[in-house]
Amino acid sequence: MIFAYSQEKYTISGYIKDASNGEVMIGATVTKKGTSIGVAANEYGFFSLNLPKGTHEIVINSIGYAVQTFTIELDKNTKLNVEMKEEGKQLDEVVITGEAEDKNIKSIEMGTAKLDIKQINKIPALLGEVDVVRSIQLLPGVTSVGEGASGFNVRGGNVDQNLILLDEAPVYNSSHLFGFFSVFNPDAVKDVKLIKGGVPAQYGGRVSSILDIRMKEGNNKKFAVNGGIGTIFSRLSIEGPLKKDKASFIIAGRRSYLDALVKPFLKETSPLKGVVFNFYDLTAKLNYRIDDKNTVFASGYFGRDQFGASSAFKFNWGNSTATVRWNHIFNNKLFMNMTTFYSNYDYYLEFTAPSNNQSFKWSSNIINYSFKPDFSWYVNNKNTVRFGAQVLYYDFLPYKAIGKFQEGAEVKFVSPKRYGAEYSAYIANEHKIKPRLTIEYGIRVSAFTYLGKGTAFTFRDTIPNTELPLQDSVRYGARVPIQNYINPEPRFAMNYVVNQFSSIKASYNRMAQYLQLISNTAASTPLDVYTMATNNLKPLVADQVSVGYFRNLKENMYETSVEVYYKYLQNQLDYIDNANLFINPTVENQLLQGLGRAYGAEFFVKKTKGKLNGWISYTLSRTERLVRGISNGDWFVSRYDRTHVLNTVANYDLTKRWSLSANFVFLSGTPSTFPNTKLEIQNISIPYNTTGNRNNYRITPFHRLDFGATFNFRKNDVGRYKQTLVFSVYNAYNRRNAYSIYFRQNSTNPNINEAVRFSVIGSIVPAVTYNFSF
Amino acid sequence: MKTFIQKIIVLTICTIALASCEDVVKIKLDKGSKLVVIDAFIDDLRKPQIVRVLNNADYFSGEASEPISNAQVVLKDLTANKSYTFTYSGNGNYQFNLTVNDTIAKTNHQYELNVSVNGNLYTAIATQKRRAIASKIDLKKDFPFIDTSGIFLGIADTLIEPSGFGGNQPKPYYTSLLFAVDIADNNPDYYRIKVFRNDTLFSKAGDIIVCVDGTNGEIYNSTEPANFFSPPATFLGFKEYQKNDKCRAEIHSISRDAYNFFIQAQAQVSNGGLFATTPENVRTNIVSPKDGIKGVGWFNMASVTTSSLVMGL
Repeated sequence: MIFAYSQEKYTISGYIKDASNGEVMIGATVTKKGTSIGVAANEYGFFSLNLPKGTHEIVINSIGYAVQTFTIELDKNTKLNVEMKEEGKQLDEVVITGEAEDKNIKSIEMGTAKLDIKQINKIPALLGEVDVVRSIQLLPGVTSVGEGASGFNVRGGNVDQNLILLDEAPVYNSSHLFGFFSVFNPDAVKDVKLIKGGVPAQYGGRVSSILDIRMKEGNNKKFAVNGGIGTIFSRLSIEGPLKKDKASFIIAGRRSYLDALVKPFLKETSPLKGVVFNFYDLTAKLNYRIDDKNTVFASGYFGRDQFGASSAFKFNWGNSTATVRWNHIFNNKLFMNMTTFYSNYDYYLEFTAPSNNQSFKWSSNIINYSFKPDFSWYVNNKNTVRFGAQVLYYDFLPYKAIGKFQEGAEVKFVSPKRYGAEYSAYIANEHKIKPRLTIEYGIRVSAFTYLGKGTAFTFRDTIPNTELPLQDSVRYGARVPIQNYINPEPRFAMNYVVNQFSSIKASYNRMAQYLQLISNTAASTPLDVYTMATNNLKPLVADQVSVGYFRNLKENMYETSVEVYYKYLQNQLDYIDNANLFINPTVENQLLQGLGRAYGAEFFVKKTKGKLNGWISYTLSRTERLVRGISNGDWFVSRYDRTHVLNTVANYDLTKRWSLSANFVFLSGTPSTFPNTKLEIQNISIPYNTTGNRNNYRITPFHRLDFGATFNFRKNDVGRYKQTLVFSVYNAYNRRNAYSIYFRQNSTNPNINEAVRFSVIGSIVPAVTYNFSF
Repeated sequence: MKTFIQKIIVLTICTIALASCEDVVKIKLDKGSKLVVIDAFIDDLRKPQIVRVLNNADYFSGEASEPISNAQVVLKDLTANKSYTFTYSGNGNYQFNLTVNDTIAKTNHQYELNVSVNGNLYTAIATQKRRAIASKIDLKKDFPFIDTSGIFLGIADTLIEPSGFGGNQPKPYYTSLLFAVDIADNNPDYYRIKVFRNDTLFSKAGDIIVCVDGTNGEIYNSTEPANFFSPPATFLGFKEYQKNDKCRAEIHSISRDAYNFFIQAQAQVSNGGLFATTPENVRTNIVSPKDGIKGVGWFNMASVTTSSLVMGL
């Protein structure tokens, strides 16, 4: 065997693309036939495989595409650009992932779920609108506090602990219309990957999960139009080549029209007449392949939610991101992606009374600039090294409020801007020690500087859970560091392949997070602002260990897995009672920091092929917090703790024209703090909990069944024009799931108190959407 | 700012409410442990001053809290070194009847309340804050010149003629507005405004009006001292009045902590919707004995300014 190692070696490298539209194929595998030697294409479709001199049969594999085999006489470094053709579709060969069939077994990834956009399209959706974030909530370990709540919770993490990347730029508010829809236009999304555990070293900055969303590059073979007309919004996307096989673009937009639909039915005098209530978003991407070694991409997103009543009240918020990337192949072993991005989240609120010249205007924003080179170095067929760095600059405007209360008199409440810089560097090696054993070890070192210009406050300590009294404030000049933090973040993952159909995986990762969302409401509001680590607030740090067993059955027709995890968090934010979080320059003295722990087991069975396909997942978990001064200083379950979660997703292809889908979810009720007595003070009956324990009850479980049916106008796949009608019934058995239970005095008899169930969706929601593409 | 934010959030929730729904449900709650509840809001109005001492009641009991009849209630004026003993007048009320020419509540004096129940002593401290002084503004002459060195205060009536849906035209009514300016210095003043219609207090949780320097909420680091009542008038609870109804507003000076107590109590009393905050127990300034039943409640001493207006005259 020593002889074999001393042999001359050469590299086969190249890109794998879809022949029909030129989109790169993330995760397609390249293997030497009959061996375990192989590699998966990276996020940009690039692969590099190191093999000894000689003749090799190379197999390129991706589910749903015809397997391609190349016989290569390897006597020099060889370029292999592959275009994969979709398999002639048979009814019983429904494709739901674009990867190798046994990737879940062979890959080192765990705690990771990929959803192909084709798969997301099949899930019955609220109001018939396919949605990325709502779809990932059907995966094990992902929940939300309720319908309509923005964001999602991963393995007991808060909504701000998810790094949501749209073409590598962070998105701060992933929701439209509070939390009913996500900001990602499915027509422009190519690939969705959620990483809950075993997070690779190239990712950092949030402690619970990474949601990595990649946009389509745009069809570089021919022009294509996709669109849909739905109950609440319409979509249109156009893509096509700018220069065949070299440059392409995609531009996709959506606009909701709830307000426009309602308008004709309102009387002139109706108070709803001037109501504005809509959202829109625009996603665009351009890419240009300069030559075999260089490709550039530019992508952008702009979206806004608007909400208001004529000119008297305006409220809008939205994200915008812009990313420029350059892929460069230094040589057949070293691949680089260089990204720079800009991201902005802002909101604006205005009240005006034109008659007496009064107004109140309030805005806030969070801006990021970043530069981020990443390298993949295919050292040999046993080692793949990834390394890179990132600089991220934060520019926050916590609030700017201007009140005009009388003629000429303006009152300004403007927070000084806050600045910060996050630096990180990482290196990790995926090492195939033996054909059956792969380990990945790496480290990410992150550092954060809270920067001037600004005023740093110090506070005196006091009784926990009360406002800290101000001790001192110190002014710092521009770009002067106020506080520094540094965190080494070790990452480790291993995969032991037991046999062709099963493997055992384990991972450990430490993650650090330097900004947290300030929100003490059940669902975060669009008005919530982020705060970065300061001299008073330490960065959030989380450690997670997880172990999993993966097994495929019946020739990879069924994928099953069990994963257990334990997570420990430090410096998680909480709030003093009666905290004043808005327009408060010393908001830090309203905040508490505590510990968190989360543990659970996730069971997953997925049927990937056949007329009937889909998955069932069950999660048993617990999420707790420990904060000085809250809940008597004992551990308490967090607001988003869900003991049992069952998700079932099923698709059934009935005929060539009809396909049916259904999903059923069951979640334990969220914890809530209920009173056990009332106090009578100043004629008010105030609910009071004499135990002082937070989250001492649970609201009723949440369960829901949805149906969907898709009708294809065409009997076969011939021709360009494609039209479908999607029917959906959301909340099919009309359950009023409680979002929260709260307590109040009866409005007519104030002596009587009552418990009120608040349901966000209290009825069956049917919808029809018409989709077309040509 | 907090109350203001809550209003926005409520507005937002109202829109969501088009699709959402609420219904009253039956919930079985555990029985809470026993508490001593002290409700001690004393003011300088010339009327019998009352401190209420009660037990707590089951949340859904529908009954009034059980009175504690055997307490000893003493108010000590620490500044003047005087003490006043309150006597039980039934229904949990401990009363002090004022002499003709004096009140027990004096601005800037510090007070201590002692309530003794079955040998357990509950105490609380309060300082009486400065008063707002009433002076009517004549609104008929457009918007008047405002002298920022003085304090102006007054109630105005305004006729509302609502536009209804379809043929169901509601009747016009009057509503009251409070126009005022506050002392333009950097010391914030906290007030509770009690509003009466024909001498009946609007007493529901939602009727509680508290303000800082006359504005809607606590504002920090403004570029100039806040010197206006919420811009420039505060609606006294959007209540409806008919012609000849009398509206009376009492502006009670309260401490910052008392202000926060009312904000917190209001938030807890109806804490629903998509953006409900985490339910929490209201704070108390009652100091409980080390052993024995826990005491909760609030003690405040107030200087009061009164302003009143008969509607439609």
